[in-house]
This record gives sequence, C-alpha cells and structure tokens, in this order.
Amino acid sequence: MNKTQLLQGTLDLLILRILDLGPNHGWGISNRLQQISLDGLKTSQGSLYPALHRLELRGELKSEMTASENNRRARVYTITGAGRKRLTKEAEMWDAFALSMRRVLRMGR
Amino acid sequence: MMTRLLASLRGRLRRRRIEREIAEELQDHLEREIAAHQMRGVSPDEARRLALRDLGGLVQTRDATRDVYATWLDGLWRDLRYAVRVLRRAPRFTVTALTLLVVGIGSTTAIISVAYAVLLRPLPYPDPERLVFLAEKDGGGIAWPDFQDWRARATSFDGLASSLADSVLLTNGPVPKRFESRSVTANFFRVIGSTAYRGRLFDEADSRPESGATVVVSHGFWLRELGGDAAAIGQTMSINRRPFTIIGIMPPGFRYMTPADVYLLLEPQVAANYRGMQSRLTHTTLFAVGRMKPGVSVIAARTEMQAIAEALALESTGKVGPYVRVQLVSLSDRIVGTMAPTLTVLSGAVTLLLLITCVNLAAMLLNRATARSHEFRIRAAIGGSRWVLIRQLLVEHGVLVGAGGLLGAAAGAAILTGLIAAAPRDMPRLDEIHLDLAVLMWTTLACAACAGVFGFVPIVKTAGTIMQGAVVRSGRGPTRSATSLRWGLMIAEMAVATVLLAGAGLMVHTMLRLTRVDPGFDPHNLQASSFSLTGASWPDARKQVFYDAVVERLRAVPGVESAAVTYSLPILGSNWWQVFMIEGTTAEHWIAVGEFPNAGMVPVSAGYFEALRIPLLKGRSFDRTDTPDSAPVAMINSRLARRYWPDGDSIGKQIRQGLPADPFGPWRTIVGVVGDIKQEGLDQNTPQQVFLPAVQVPRTTMFAVARTERSVASSSLDQAIHDLDPAIPVFNDRTMDRIMSEAASRRRIAMIVLTVFGSVAVILAAVGLYGVISQGVADRRQEIGVRVALGATYAQVVGLFLRHGLIVVGFGIGCGSAAALAMSRSLKSLVFGITATDPATLAATAALLALVALVACYMPARSAARVDPLEALRSD
Repeated sequence: MNKTQLLQGTLDLLILRILDLGPNHGWGISNRLQQISLDGLKTSQGSLYPALHRLELRGELKSEMTASENNRRARVYTITGAGRKRLTKEAEMWDAFALSMRRVLRMGR
Repeated sequence: MMTRLLASLRGRLRRRRIEREIAEELQDHLEREIAAHQMRGVSPDEARRLALRDLGGLVQTRDATRDVYATWLDGLWRDLRYAVRVLRRAPRFTVTALTLLVVGIGSTTAIISVAYAVLLRPLPYPDPERLVFLAEKDGGGIAWPDFQDWRARATSFDGLASSLADSVLLTNGPVPKRFESRSVTANFFRVIGSTAYRGRLFDEADSRPESGATVVVSHGFWLRELGGDAAAIGQTMSINRRPFTIIGIMPPGFRYMTPADVYLLLEPQVAANYRGMQSRLTHTTLFAVGRMKPGVSVIAARTEMQAIAEALALESTGKVGPYVRVQLVSLSDRIVGTMAPTLTVLSGAVTLLLLITCVNLAAMLLNRATARSHEFRIRAAIGGSRWVLIRQLLVEHGVLVGAGGLLGAAAGAAILTGLIAAAPRDMPRLDEIHLDLAVLMWTTLACAACAGVFGFVPIVKTAGTIMQGAVVRSGRGPTRSATSLRWGLMIAEMAVATVLLAGAGLMVHTMLRLTRVDPGFDPHNLQASSFSLTGASWPDARKQVFYDAVVERLRAVPGVESAAVTYSLPILGSNWWQVFMIEGTTAEHWIAVGEFPNAGMVPVSAGYFEALRIPLLKGRSFDRTDTPDSAPVAMINSRLARRYWPDGDSIGKQIRQGLPADPFGPWRTIVGVVGDIKQEGLDQNTPQQVFLPAVQVPRTTMFAVARTERSVASSSLDQAIHDLDPAIPVFNDRTMDRIMSEAASRRRIAMIVLTVFGSVAVILAAVGLYGVISQGVADRRQEIGVRVALGATYAQVVGLFLRHGLIVVGFGIGCGSAAALAMSRSLKSLVFGITATDPATLAATAALLALVALVACYMPARSAARVDPLEALRSD
C-alpha cells in the first residue's frame, strides 16, 4: 500500500496536531511534518495547501498574512477552538482504530 | 454554519485577493525550500528543481488550492438550485406558503411601521420627555392674561411658551392666497428646542413694539413660494395686507401639532387685541408648551400649575370653583392622544395575524415534512447524513422565507401607500411614516424562526430513528407527537381567529350604530365652502351686506335649492364658546351653582335652519326683518332650553353674552327654539347652542352652505363667491357627506383592518382545519376500509372525524372568546352605542366561526365515509 494514499484522510489531523504546538506558515508545517514523522509520512507538499485552505473554510484554522524577511509576505496559520475539538475527537478515534487494527493483525501470531 | 457562509461570501468578494495571496504564499514556500536545499550545498538551479518537484508543480498546486473555494461555493449553489427545484415541483405548497408569508409579513410590517412612526418614535425635538402641553379646564384654550400669570409664577419650567394655530392671507399678488399659520410667543422655538435651517428664529427683541413685523416660514413654503432662494431672507412679504420681513426658514419636516407654513409672533397680535385676547374671558385655541427643568416630573408640574390656577381664581373671584382646572400632559401623549387607541388595536390585530401566519406556516411545514418523510428515509438509507438533510432543508426554508420577505416588503410598501391615502388628513406625524426596515427584519425573522422550529422537528426525529437503525415504518403515517402538535396549532389558530373576528364584529356593529344616529339635520346633498373677509377694507357694515349677497348669488346657481351662511358647521364642532347671562339672575347665583350658563355661539344667516332642515320647535326663525338695526334677537337649541327653562317658557326671555362685569353685545330676546343637532360629531352629545343673526354679529370667516337638488360641481360654489369679489379667498370646499365620512375615518380604518384580517384569519383557520382532517382521513384510509367492511355506517364514519374536529374547534373558540373579553379594553374608546364586551356580537362571532369550522371538518369527513373498502385495503 502506498504511504501517501494512507495519508489522505489523516493529513488534516496531522496539520491540526502541528498547529496545536503553535502558529506556523505552510513551509514550516511541511518541514515539521517531515521532522516529527522522521520522513516516514512524507507527503506531497502540493496537497498541503488545499488542505490548509479547506480547514480554514471549515473554521478549524484561521490565518493572517504577515510580513516576513526579504520583503515577502507569509501566511501564518493558527488553530481555532473548533480545530482543537476535532483534533481531540479524531485523535481518540485513531487510537481506538490503531488498537483494534493491531489486535486483529497480531491475532494468532 | 453562519460563520462558514460568511467566510464563503467573503471569499467570493475577495476572489482576486485570495488568488494573489495564494500565489504569494506558494512563492514564500518555494523560496524557503530553495534556501533550505542551498544550505545543504545544492546548486541554486538544482535546489529550485527539487523544490518545484516536491511541491508538485507551482501551477497545479495553485489551482488545487483555489479549487477549494470553488468547491465550497458550488456546494452552496447546488443546494440553492436544488431547493428552488424542489419548491417548484410542489407549486401548490410553494404558492400557498408564499401567499401566507407575503400577507403576513407585508401587512404586519406596514401597520407596525405606522404605529412605530406615530406612537413610539421620539418627537423630533431635543429632550422631548421634558416637554409638556398645557390647556385650561377640559382641554380648553388658555386666556392670554392667564397664560401670562402662569408664566410669571411657575417655577417648574425652564421656559413656558404658547402658540395658536391660525391661517393668514398672503396678499402679494392680485388674488390673495390662504396659508396655515401658527402664531407663537417669542420664546416658543427656544422652549421646544428648534433651530433655523436658514436665517434665525424669533427672539425676545422681535416682540418689542418698536421692532418691525417679522415672519419665519416653513422649508416647504420657502421651496414652493420663494423658489428656494437664499436671498429670500431679509425680503418683505405682504401678509393680511401688512408688510413682514422674512427672518428665517424652519428645517425640513419641522412640525408642531398641525402643519403650518407661516410662523408669526403672538405678542403683537395680543397688543392689537386680536380676537379680544386681552380679556381674561376670551378662550381662543391658545395652548401652552413648557420645558420642565431637569428632574421635574409631570405630576409635580401639574400640581404646581393647579395650585397657581386656584390662587388666580381666588384672587379674581374670591372663590375657587370646581371648574378651575389645568390640563398638563406630556407633549407626546397629547400629540398621539387621539390616534393611540386606534393604533394599539391595529398593532394588536396585526400581531395576531403574524401569529396566525406563523401557526399556519408551522402546520404546512409539518404536513409537508410528514409527506416527505418517505423521501428522507430513503435518502438516509442510501447514506445521506443527517447534517446534509438538515442543511438542505435549511436552504429550502431559507429560500422560501427569503422570497416571502422580499415580496412581503413590496406588499408592505403598497399597503402603506394605501393606508396613508386612507388616513385622516389630520393624523399626527403622517409625513414621518415610512416602511421600517427593522420591523420588516423582525417579522421575517419571526417567520424564519417558526419555519426553523416546526420545519425540523419531524426531520430530526425521522432521521434520528434511522440513525438508530429502527425498523422503517410504512410510507405515510405521521408520528403521534406530530399529530398532537398539529391539533395544538389548530386550537391556537381558531382562538386567534375568534379574537380578530370579535374585534371586526364590534367595529362593524359600531359603524352600523353610527349610521343609524339621527344627526338632527339632513346631511345629504349639502355643500359647504368657507370664505374670509379680512382686513380694513371689510368693516362690519360691508360684511353684513355681503352675507346677503352670497346667499342671493348661491340661490341663482342652477341646482341649488336653498343657501345660507354660518359661522360653524355641524359635525365639525363649535368654534366660539362663551358664557352668557340670563335676565333676572346674578353672577353670585351662578358661582354658587358652580358654572356660568355657557353655549356654543353660532352666527347664522336667515334661512340657515331651512337649508339644513333643522326643525323649528317653537317661535320663529331668523328672517329678513332681522337687520343690523332691528331689535337684537337670538335662537336657542332644545337642549339649552330644557336646561335653563325646564318649564318650557323660553320664548321672549333675554340673554346677554359675557359676564355682568364684562358683557359682550346687547341683551337679546329669544325668538325661537330649534331641534338638537350633532354639532360636535355623530358620537358626541349635542352641546348647548345659541344662534345669533349673522347680520347683527358679523364674523370674518364664514361657511357658505347650499342645499342642492342634484349634485353640483363643487367649484360652482367657489365660482359664485368669486363672481361677487375675486379677491376673496375661498377654501375647504366639501360636501357634508364627505365631512361625516372623514369624521368616521378613525373607526373606519379600525373596522376595515379588523374585518380584512378577521376574514383572512377565518379562511386560514378553515383551510388549516380542512388540511389537518384530510390528512387524518388519508392516514387512516385502511382503518376506515376495515371499519366500513365490518359494517360501520356513514354517520359513524363521519362522526369519527367530525367529533375530533369539533372538540378542537370548541376549545379554540372558547379560548379565543376568553381572550377577546380580556382584550376588550383596547377597543373601548372606538366602539359606540355598544359595550366592548357586547354579548350579542361575541355570540354571533362564535356562531359564525363554529359554522365555518363545521363545514371545514365535514367536507373531509364526508370523503372518509365514501372510502371504498376494497380499494382502500388493496392499496399499499
């Protein structure tokens, strides 16, 4: 099974988790994603941005354009209350899911 | 939901900005990534290639990100389109619901807008709550010397001013024009807190005798008559043939009590003893307005003024009679006073109509939701989430109520235009009325909330049962709670219909009573017009001759049977009240009685009673033998005769206007007694009246009246008077029928609104009842089939449905009658000839409603009895 396919549904959750640590911009999130998952969950950076904007439309993130070095502007994302709520809920679901999967896969070994 | 909707709207509005920001954001990402690669020693070109590869292409990523917004908007758009399609597929439901919403929202908004503008919005003066209105006993005008004493002694006020509604002649051109005016004391504008639009308003210096005559004009007058020219200030204007300097223009929309175009100073008029205002016995229509000091209450001010009035009475007559009273009310109460009960009733009626709209909408949505539960079950079964169903319903109801709100606003504007046209012309603050957007928003929101609550109850339930995996019930049957909710709504609807119909019944009954009142004269084919003979060129001797000339000239008009001249017209009221003395009695006697003889004085020409067909009961009428030089005479009405000569020998007795110490005119011999007429209006008691020969007591402004045998063009009366002298202003040309109809307009509006609303309510209630029972019949077709198959008779099946319906109807009418009784107080001042709890009217209302409800229940019940058992059992 392809790693990226597995990731599609969980990308939202990972983004929320990273932003739970503090506000960050797109590149920072992508970088963080690689660091904490030790490159094991490497995703196409291209799918990150649509996901960020979708989350913002759902009210789970908010963003602000801020000045950055070299006269550029960077968009900085912050998690919202709704986002935190979803993170808690889905993290629990993941735990339960992972637990059952492990039980099933190790059955009879 | 709302925040997301807003976010999407914002997104749409700022699409270009979003695209720019996405590009910027991705550019920022690339440059950081390139920098990161270069830090590891990769060449710049290679770093750029790697960064672009990892991003998955700049253009592709940008488009994918932008599509997030497009998809969201598409979803909303799809919901909207689907909602419109669903509504169009059910045209009967949609049209009925829309009609309901338009009628409900439109009429409620229009009428509450009127009530708000007239009743609730603060007066257009600063600190209006500190302004009070003052009148003498029984709301009569204040004698000028009394006003001066009040002003000198009162301590409750920052300022006390007075004013007098009047009319003036603008004598600039060859034909004088008449304008409404108001004469005010120099401090008047300061007291009410108005400032000039241009120029300045009066101050104390203007009222000194040595200052020149000054005038302030309204904004409208300035635009119409002075061409809106700023140079008008300082110009001279000829008013009543005397020059006045224009010193200021009032702001647009300024109004105090009645509208006026010209504001003059009162003090110079008093100095000239205009209308005998220097006398303490002359009560014109002078009223005062005071600005209370901060912290002074209306009650405190009233107590002080009453004490001052009693002290004044004690000083002048040595006695405080029971008739010494000061009327002091807040200015806003006075201004809306007469219309308040009508508007309260209208607002109440309209609130009930809105309630019935909501109840009906609720019942309709409930029915529809039940009918669609099958569709929802299927959609839920194939994986539609509850949220999607609710969102779709929300959009559907939003579209419905939104369209209803828009159309309702248009209907409201139309109703408002009609109401303003039908309103009595003297209705206060008419010019301040417009469709109130806040009201529109509230009425629409009320309907939306109702759609929200009742539209979802069954869905949430249906969807809920499916989520829990419950067994799917057969297609149509409603849930038990939905049925009882529907019956509850029907009871509410019947109750509201009862209240509205009872109000309508009372007003119709009142109008019937009013048309049956005998006015004491024949009002049909009677025309009236007033004319003024002002200025130095009209000495009394010339007026006396002119009255006869007017009567002669009018009689010559084709179609005119008889004609006369009078100072006061019936229905419109007396405009000259005076005390008088009776020969052989003393002032002390009347002081002991507590009231001097008094009456409305009406100078009339010979032939007045014949022209109006007022019966002569005793003695003779005025005729050609009464001349300026013949013996002074008077006629009295029957009520006055009974009061002062209860044994009936009034003819030949002498009376004299004024008090013994301050008489007005000579002793007059009573020569005739005439029947009572409704001088003050059909709903008022006949006042005591004294008629005087106009040739002996000439007045400036008179009414010419003509009895016609067929309808005569109204302008022909004016033409006849202008034939005699084109410089005479003639105005207010009306028929007596019109005068009477205008006098009844307050009640007529209440009657029309209540009748229309009452009928709408009854129809809605009947339709609702019909719908609920039909639904019941449809739901129970199989059961009926079984019953019929087992031998139930026609009467048994009909009775099954009728019984249930009639219990609800009886309950609704009972609640409604109780509510109608409780609310009857608000109709008290509008009903006439009956009480506001008139049992006959209430009984008739209940009977009519019961009959309509019976029909509405019987029709579907009868169709139940016609169910073919075979067919019913075979279906499903």
